Amino acid sequence: MGHEARKGALRDFYTPLVAAMGYKFTPDDELADFLLEQEAALEETKGAPYCPCQVRTREREHDMTIVCPCIPFHRAHFDAMRRCWCGLFVHQDVTDPDSLPQIPASELGIRE
Amino acid sequence: MSDPIFVYALSTCPWCHKAKKYFEDKGVVFEAVDIDLLPDDESDRLAAEAFELSGSRAYPVVRIGGEVIVGFLPERFDQLLEAEA
Amino acid sequence: MAESWIKVADEGALSDGRALPVYPRGLGMLLVRAGGAVYAIANRCAHMACPLEGGACEAFIITCPCHDWRFDVRTGAFVEAPEIAVPTYPVRVTDGEVFVHL
Repeated sequence: MGHEARKGALRDFYTPLVAAMGYKFTPDDELADFLLEQEAALEETKGAPYCPCQVRTREREHDMTIVCPCIPFHRAHFDAMRRCWCGLFVHQDVTDPDSLPQIPASELGIRE
Repeated sequence: MSDPIFVYALSTCPWCHKAKKYFEDKGVVFEAVDIDLLPDDESDRLAAEAFELSGSRAYPVVRIGGEVIVGFLPERFDQLLEAEA
Repeated sequence: MAESWIKVADEGALSDGRALPVYPRGLGMLLVRAGGAVYAIANRCAHMACPLEGGACEAFIITCPCHDWRFDVRTGAFVEAPEIAVPTYPVRVTDGEVFVHL
């Protein structure tokens, strides 16, 4: 808790962006709320709403590719999973996000 | 005897939490570290180690025996634990 | 308000590699000279609404200073995902004066 206003703003920024790419927020509201809380805290302490499930290198060229929504920079990987790595977004037709496991990029022959 | 199970985790990541809980529930001996909670130099060292093993900046990274798994993949964990047993 | 061409700058104020902020009718936009032409693009990133002003301009690409999202000034398209774009505006240069169409 503590970042409610910013979480709402992030949700408003992301919604049309991910829709344009064929994604939506996960229907798992508890997961979405937890992830947005992490992002708002990361933005406050580290300067950007980084993916909560990818590690920063502190090299700008890399780190900017994990700022949410990071779908554009990992498109082939996420399209194959029909979700993003942390699970904040899923393909628009997904109703059961629990049915979508993480798949390592290497198993799809994709370089991260 | 193979290396102990090790989970490279991020405190911000629910899939890392799930991976740790998986091994807790199995009652197996494992080590886990939230690398984002460490001082920068120690965090960098472990992130580099995880990347060296996995080629991945995506977490969790789990070392089981000689294998390295990227992601929360309970079925894969099951298979590797069985192979270890 | 009727659509019209509005003078926003003198051509001499533009230089390659540096976007010029202008505010026709209060609308924030950037003029970018590239490849011998002038382009007008909204001064607001599609990602999180950061001003694009101050971002690096290289050829036809402007990079948002906040999180490095890159846009093609000719179309407004986000380079990594062209489904996403910022608005662009028609530009006319006449007798050394730059006009945008609103």
